[in-house]
Amino acid sequence: MKVSLHWLRRFVDFDLSATELADKLTMRGFESEVVTDFEDLENLVVGEVLTAGKHPDADKLKLCTVSDGSNTFNVVCGAPNVDAGQKIVFAKVGAILPGDFKIGKAKIRGVESFGMICSERELGISEEHDGIMVLDDSFKAGTPVKEVLGPIFNAIDIEVTPDKAFALSHRGIAREVASMIGSKLKTPISSVKLNSSSKEVIPVQLDKKGGCTRYIAGVMKNVKVGPSPNWLADYLKSVGQKSINNLVDISNFMLLEIGHPTHIFDLKKLKKPAIKVSWAKKGEKFNALDEETYELNTDHMVITDTENTIALAGIIGGLDSSVTDSTNEVLIESAYFDPVTIRKGSKKLNLLSEASRRFERGTDPNAASEAFNMIVQLMQEVAGGTLETVITDECSMSLNNTSINLSSEKLLKYAGQDIPENDVERILNGLHIDAKKSKNGWKCSIPTFRNDLCVETDLIEEIFRCYGYENIESSFNYSSIMQYANDEESSIFSLKHHLSSLGFHQSYNNSLEDLEEVKLFGKNAISVVNPSSERMNTLRTTLHAGLLKNLDFNFRNGSSNTLIYEYGTIFEGKTNQLEDITQKSSLSCLVHGDVFAKNVHFDSISASFAFLKGVACNIFEDKKLGIKIKFKEQKHYYCDPYFSIIDGKKQVIGGLGVINQSLLKDLDIAHKHDVVVLDIDTKIFTDYRGYSTKVEDIVPFPLVSRDLNFKMDSNIKVGDVVKAMKSVNQSILQNVLPVDIYQSKNDVTTKDVLFSLSFQSPKKTLEDKDVNTIITEIINVVSKKFNAKLRDN
Amino acid sequence: MSLDKTIKGLKTSFSKELSNCKSTQDLENFRIKYLGRNGLLTSLFEEFNKLPASEKPHFGKELNILKNKLTNEYQNALGDKSNNKTSNDNDFSLPGYDLPDGNIHPLEQITSEIKSIFQSIGFSVAYGPEIDDDYHNFEALNVPKHHPARDMQDTFFINPNTVLRTHTSNVQIHLMENQDPPLRHICCGRVFRNEAVSYKSFCLFNQVEGLVVNETSSFAEMKGTLEYFVQEMFGKDTKMRFRPSYFPFTEPSAEVDIWNNKLNQWMEILGCGMVNPNVLSNVGYDNKKYQGFAFGMGIERIAMIKYGIKDIRLFYQNDKRFLEQF
Repeated sequence: MKVSLHWLRRFVDFDLSATELADKLTMRGFESEVVTDFEDLENLVVGEVLTAGKHPDADKLKLCTVSDGSNTFNVVCGAPNVDAGQKIVFAKVGAILPGDFKIGKAKIRGVESFGMICSERELGISEEHDGIMVLDDSFKAGTPVKEVLGPIFNAIDIEVTPDKAFALSHRGIAREVASMIGSKLKTPISSVKLNSSSKEVIPVQLDKKGGCTRYIAGVMKNVKVGPSPNWLADYLKSVGQKSINNLVDISNFMLLEIGHPTHIFDLKKLKKPAIKVSWAKKGEKFNALDEETYELNTDHMVITDTENTIALAGIIGGLDSSVTDSTNEVLIESAYFDPVTIRKGSKKLNLLSEASRRFERGTDPNAASEAFNMIVQLMQEVAGGTLETVITDECSMSLNNTSINLSSEKLLKYAGQDIPENDVERILNGLHIDAKKSKNGWKCSIPTFRNDLCVETDLIEEIFRCYGYENIESSFNYSSIMQYANDEESSIFSLKHHLSSLGFHQSYNNSLEDLEEVKLFGKNAISVVNPSSERMNTLRTTLHAGLLKNLDFNFRNGSSNTLIYEYGTIFEGKTNQLEDITQKSSLSCLVHGDVFAKNVHFDSISASFAFLKGVACNIFEDKKLGIKIKFKEQKHYYCDPYFSIIDGKKQVIGGLGVINQSLLKDLDIAHKHDVVVLDIDTKIFTDYRGYSTKVEDIVPFPLVSRDLNFKMDSNIKVGDVVKAMKSVNQSILQNVLPVDIYQSKNDVTTKDVLFSLSFQSPKKTLEDKDVNTIITEIINVVSKKFNAKLRDN
Repeated sequence: MSLDKTIKGLKTSFSKELSNCKSTQDLENFRIKYLGRNGLLTSLFEEFNKLPASEKPHFGKELNILKNKLTNEYQNALGDKSNNKTSNDNDFSLPGYDLPDGNIHPLEQITSEIKSIFQSIGFSVAYGPEIDDDYHNFEALNVPKHHPARDMQDTFFINPNTVLRTHTSNVQIHLMENQDPPLRHICCGRVFRNEAVSYKSFCLFNQVEGLVVNETSSFAEMKGTLEYFVQEMFGKDTKMRFRPSYFPFTEPSAEVDIWNNKLNQWMEILGCGMVNPNVLSNVGYDNKKYQGFAFGMGIERIAMIKYGIKDIRLFYQNDKRFLEQF
């Protein structure tokens, strides 16, 4: 909310610059920044346009001579409204305008220009940029602009949080300033109720169901519509609002003055001089002031003249009953509407207005009458006219102060330190809260404009923020001994470090993806009903999609290898009901390219299926978990081949596969080699938590190695042969490793596989004959089962 | 006949034939002839076994020397032939192996740093669902359906009553529903906001939130706790301030700014406050007896300040050239 310092001074005298004011308010809970401050603007003076002629080389530009009181400058200006004789804001060479816009000497279409004639937008006053700002003729050329515009237009912007409805006006902020500097609040317009000589009454009927609990109405006749006086237009301009006409301006002014929205109807456009507050008919069409047509529903509150809808209560007026240039009789509305009713109504239409913003946060029911009375006075002053009806005030709500007890013990317990009693009382009184000392604390009387204060902690907050958070001493009393602290994911964190040291980068991908892409990976995806873009409308069902994007991005950016993983949540559900949705933490790795590039020491080692298989064993068969895994080939939606990883309890705890080419093609993933993925079910870290390995005695007898070289059919899986060899003997044969596979170019139907076998007995040093017996048996088994031939060695 | 002579002959023919080997296949045949199970070397050992005991020590030694020599020569030849390279062992100026260099994502690094600071003063870490019902994300946290405070967090809906959580505070509600005070926890995870994606906002971010509930924890203690955190996280000399603010779930509420020397301005890093008594009563706690404080911060924001990152989207692009810098 833009707040003008000039306007604040109507209510309170203060001696603070815009910057000082913004800083102080920020520390009171009103985050503020300076938006217009002429104090800092140098080389900005009142100028007089002496001549405004044509630019020799451009139709839309004018070549002006501008006087700064002592010298004359050539200035090129593009504004259509510039004219000789005008007093204007002249930014001389060297001036710096808001937004760090430096004015220098410039050549515009071949003509030198020494400075600039400013628009309101360039000065940070408003958004007006259709022409230059023309000043009052009484200003003298050469006067620094800060002296003529500063007092009126210096302004700050305040971010008012949703709880602080009381601060949505200049009076509200002024109350805060007054309490801050210990000053009194002034009353610029009296709110005394005026009497009318007429006995005529506007009947007002409220709806029994609520929604509107106070409605004040009255009629003024013989008003003259016209432009607003300068003082009024300047106030509006100082907060960036356009002046429309005196009647509309008065209502807008009152809203920003005391924060209470009002509405002015053209009386002659009503069917009857009467008001009925009720609910809209289902599907009712309403033409609003913003020249849009809205379709209403039965929970929209409307104002009617008993026949037609003339306003959408608390949100926007109707076009057909609005003030125009020919208006001379008006009906003034000042009402209190229920916050939830207004909030629902405005949300449903997605229609926010200055009025609805205030009503949905809760207005002051007493300000309804204040606003009405002030408007009548202002209208008399600015547009003439007299009150021609009795003021109708239908009210079914309390207008009295409420009361809250504040206990000094609670205050102490909350602060953690003592706050002196006289400070508490000074603060509360400064906020117009009458605090009477009671046995255990204070009985506080809360004015109706502070509808945000309902319970004791609301008052504690007021006291803390006014006392100053910096004045509450901090205390730190955690014991220096490490205390109990757990993190169920600490084992996963170790795994992440493990993967990093194997060369993987951790990635973080968006959980929201494109439904069309998500479909390629699986079923039962959960979509968002109000996505911000179609590219991000569905929750991921696998981490693979994001990892593939990372591969694509990095490959296209010249990276020849990608080793990447992500840990995150994936989502699935048969329906979009919460109880049907599963949300699972998941970890997936993806590899592509080389682990080691070719170099002076050795050839490249590729990040292949075998590499990732090794990673899988390395992770799952970690001694802290004590898992033995098996790989079982399975069909997969988009991997070929794909192997489930199975633990000793036959549970699937992961998977390893090669992404098939058709998916890579569908997603247009740039790649050169196989793309291999590994999934790790992180629930193993809870399932296998607490396992501790049993240490085995170290065998003191030597390990004996033997090599066996078999010639076999090239289709035979070496893994099967190893398995068969191992099954022959399990006590002495410790390990079988294929160490070399040789295939002759002349005979591709066979291959030679060299196996290295190691033997060890826990009981004695093995002799040749012990080993030879087993070897013979192995040779037998392998020869028979695989029709393999032992090569001579 | 002397074994000596045979050993000598074997040595000569071994070296000669070895130098004639041209391929790995040649080498393999050579190995079988000399060093194989029924090779020449084995047969020498068989002869040795027949020797009288008095000669055994001498020849035993000789044969072992021979075996080692032949094996070494063969291994060297094998090495040379198989990778066809000259040995690099003596050039110490060569670069070392380029070992794969993986990283923990910067957001994870910051999260774990924050976690360990709070764990060191006894906070446990908790996790919870990213999709949750309106009640746990809003209503239980004192944000009723038709309250203007709902506008503070633009929300993604799965259905009218189910949302992508807008903060990790839903975890605090789940925790309190399942556990009695005292509580001292932090919750971490992803949260979602339906905002336009730009350099300064993304549709999701990571949060760490804390919650302390017991009979005594005060505003002063909250200040002390967060001052400790800021000093551990950003350095002992970090200038900070607590500024009044508003959150529906805390009262009084504050935002914490730290002073940025480079930019010469305050930067907001976290929000905090005393837990609103309504939140405590919503989970069935006696709010006359119990009180406490809560706080929350965005990890991306802290990472951006700490590392000087100007575009939040970099965290989710996973450009290796970015990730490698951490």
